[in-house]
Amino acid sequence: MRLSVAPENRPIVIASLFIAAILAAGTAYTLSTTGTTPLLSPNYLLQQLQTGAFLGICAAGMMMVILLGQIDLSVPWTLTAAAMTATAVGGDMAVPTALAVGLAVGLLNGFGVAYLRIPSMIFTLGVDTMLRGLMVAQTGGFAPQDTATPLMLFLAKDRILGIPVAIFVWAAVSLVIALILTRTGFGRSIYATGSREGAAYLSGIRTKWVIVGAFVTSSLCAAIAGVLLTGYSAKAYQGMGNAFLLPAIAAVVLGGTHILGGRGRYAGTLVGVILIVLLNSVLSIMQMPEAGRQIIYGAVIIGMLLVYGRNQQVTS
Amino acid sequence: MTDAIVEYRGISKFFAGIRALENVDFACKAGSIHAILGENGAGKSTLIKIMAGVLQPDTGEMLLEGRPIVFPTPTAANAAGIVCMFQELSLVPDLSVADNISISDPPRRFGLIDRRAQVARAQELLARVRCEDVDPNALVRELSLSRRQMVEIAKAIGRNPKVLILDEATSALTSRDVQTVYDLLAELKADGIASLFISHRMHEVDALCDTLSVFRNGQHIETFAKGEKSEREIVRLMIGRDVEAQFPAKPPSKPEDQRGEELLSVRNLKWENRLNGIDLSLRRGEIVGLGGLDGQGQKELLLALFGVLRDVEGEVIVGGRKGLPSSPAAAKSARTRIALVPEDRKTEGLMLGMPIADNLLAASFSKISRGPLIDPLLARQAVDEGVEKLNIKIGSAEDAVMTLSGGNQQKVVIAKWLMTDPDIILLNDPTRGIDVGTKQEIYRLMRELANEGKAILFYSSDYAELIGCCDRVSVLYGGRVVSEQQGDAITEESLVAASLNIGVEAA
Repeated sequence: MRLSVAPENRPIVIASLFIAAILAAGTAYTLSTTGTTPLLSPNYLLQQLQTGAFLGICAAGMMMVILLGQIDLSVPWTLTAAAMTATAVGGDMAVPTALAVGLAVGLLNGFGVAYLRIPSMIFTLGVDTMLRGLMVAQTGGFAPQDTATPLMLFLAKDRILGIPVAIFVWAAVSLVIALILTRTGFGRSIYATGSREGAAYLSGIRTKWVIVGAFVTSSLCAAIAGVLLTGYSAKAYQGMGNAFLLPAIAAVVLGGTHILGGRGRYAGTLVGVILIVLLNSVLSIMQMPEAGRQIIYGAVIIGMLLVYGRNQQVTS
Repeated sequence: MTDAIVEYRGISKFFAGIRALENVDFACKAGSIHAILGENGAGKSTLIKIMAGVLQPDTGEMLLEGRPIVFPTPTAANAAGIVCMFQELSLVPDLSVADNISISDPPRRFGLIDRRAQVARAQELLARVRCEDVDPNALVRELSLSRRQMVEIAKAIGRNPKVLILDEATSALTSRDVQTVYDLLAELKADGIASLFISHRMHEVDALCDTLSVFRNGQHIETFAKGEKSEREIVRLMIGRDVEAQFPAKPPSKPEDQRGEELLSVRNLKWENRLNGIDLSLRRGEIVGLGGLDGQGQKELLLALFGVLRDVEGEVIVGGRKGLPSSPAAAKSARTRIALVPEDRKTEGLMLGMPIADNLLAASFSKISRGPLIDPLLARQAVDEGVEKLNIKIGSAEDAVMTLSGGNQQKVVIAKWLMTDPDIILLNDPTRGIDVGTKQEIYRLMRELANEGKAILFYSSDYAELIGCCDRVSVLYGGRVVSEQQGDAITEESLVAASLNIGVEAA
């Protein structure tokens, strides 16, 4: 790591180097066992990015909220509720329904945090639980339709020019989020509000709207991820979003976004997502038992954050 | 020097290759009140941070009572009798006054904190700083800035210092509390305690200190006894060049009918029990001062006009319409065009960790956007313009704003608001903790802005500023305007009298 790297880019550089290290270690393993290098084949990488798209889209939304110094714990069941409601409605209205569910949950979260001033960790956890209750109630009495619509299947499984459509969706979401964060007043206001809400408010930034906007973005992203995941697994089911909460937060933080808000670049979140996806994949290729995988996974996250912390101390 | 309690020999300190202190020899005697003067960035803070164990010198040695000593931590310095009150208040807002005063060394009984002894100790120390009215059980958060600073002083005294360092300790104090601190320091001096006093207010230094040391660019320029040099000479030593008159010339006061258009008119403004019927009028081209003791409603008035407070009553006409703005966002809108430079630049004025550019643009996103997107070119132009107009000394606009000195930070806040092209500028003690050179730049800027037709409402805790800068001064007492003074009638005597509401009406 050279000294010329700006502090805010340092986590991105470190995480990128770590990705290279994971690929190198995995390739060394496969070379020694089977003599092949499947990890470096374009097909393998595209497949990883395709499954990474769900996490990547959740993390993109989560980043907006974390930049405010808040957190959105309702992502898993927002994702599930959007997917299940969408398939229940079915047809052409399925995807708009999913987005509407996302919008509604986002408005609720934003209202609770910005206007009722309830800490987001509590409020979004409550909303998550409520959504789970609603979904259980929905499937309890009768069996709603749960199969993915053709559009969902297309978005998640088809390929254009050999590249999975899901990757295009992820790229589009990334482009929009990156543009919002760097080039709009809303995005700059997120940084300002996350950095110091009082000063942002006294600068005439409508901080409450900013908070609501960030939560809406997060829930919309979760809903989009729900749509893709439904297409990928061909149906919506309870608990389908459970595996995404912690990796999404981890990806954002590994990408260098400050957990207390105000600092972070979207490129970092992208790198963080790829790191997590590859780490999981390589560990499973190495046939690491589940217990060992969890331990390594956690240790890597803590270890990387320690490295970031060190650097910040040196620079301050 | 034989009776030096603390002595520096050839101390240097560098930050990332930049000189903060270079080869400094310095001594401070027991039983003296020693002023450290210099512009922001002159090395004063580094000097005292080394003494307080916060920083380690890169070269040179420090002697305490003649013996070389190294303080690896602030705790070690404290144990050796060096107590420092930093510019940034170091109280914990959510703890009580008593808890804060004994925070590092609470009285214990059987290993547990003895609450009763703690409160008694707090009472005794508060009485020493003549703040008997402060309840030891009150939360620090509930106290005004001035009272907090007094609690900080009580806390420092409670540690039985040999050397007491006061870094801008009086910057937030009301004049009554300043007097208390003067008396206290005189007592400590008689007890043989050395006080190091850092202040940007020359008259305080003059009233209080017996020895003065001037620093500039990390170097110790000169140390001399009080009275050896005139104020003018001292200022020249500090900034290394001559300065013209401290305040820019005021325009002659005009008769009623020739004054500018009235931009703001306030009648009988009330809010909770802090504002009790304020009348005020603000015209184009004038600087109106708000005087009075601290906590008489000045800050609340500014916040109310800026749309921060809820449920404010009274008749207000601003921007040609009735009613106060409903939020800061509404206040800065095209109808009212109000700007506020808030009291505490570190928490209210700036996002300290963010780049200078982002701070400058924080109030003007709509101005630099084309359609929904920010135009990077317009943004860069706006930043360059702001930096140039206020002569802000920066390396790169992408550096965090906290890397700037206090004066330059305040300039960033002001530049941020000038970018919105306001009509009405509300200033809440904008020169607090700022060096002389920058203060003068701000005074000049205020007059320029007024001449451009803006209206300025200016609260200051420093009477000299009100006298030097303002066309009119309204003195507040108990949430009411008790006196309005104009032109030459604004004098220190009349302001003090009105502040205390002792009824000596100025002509």
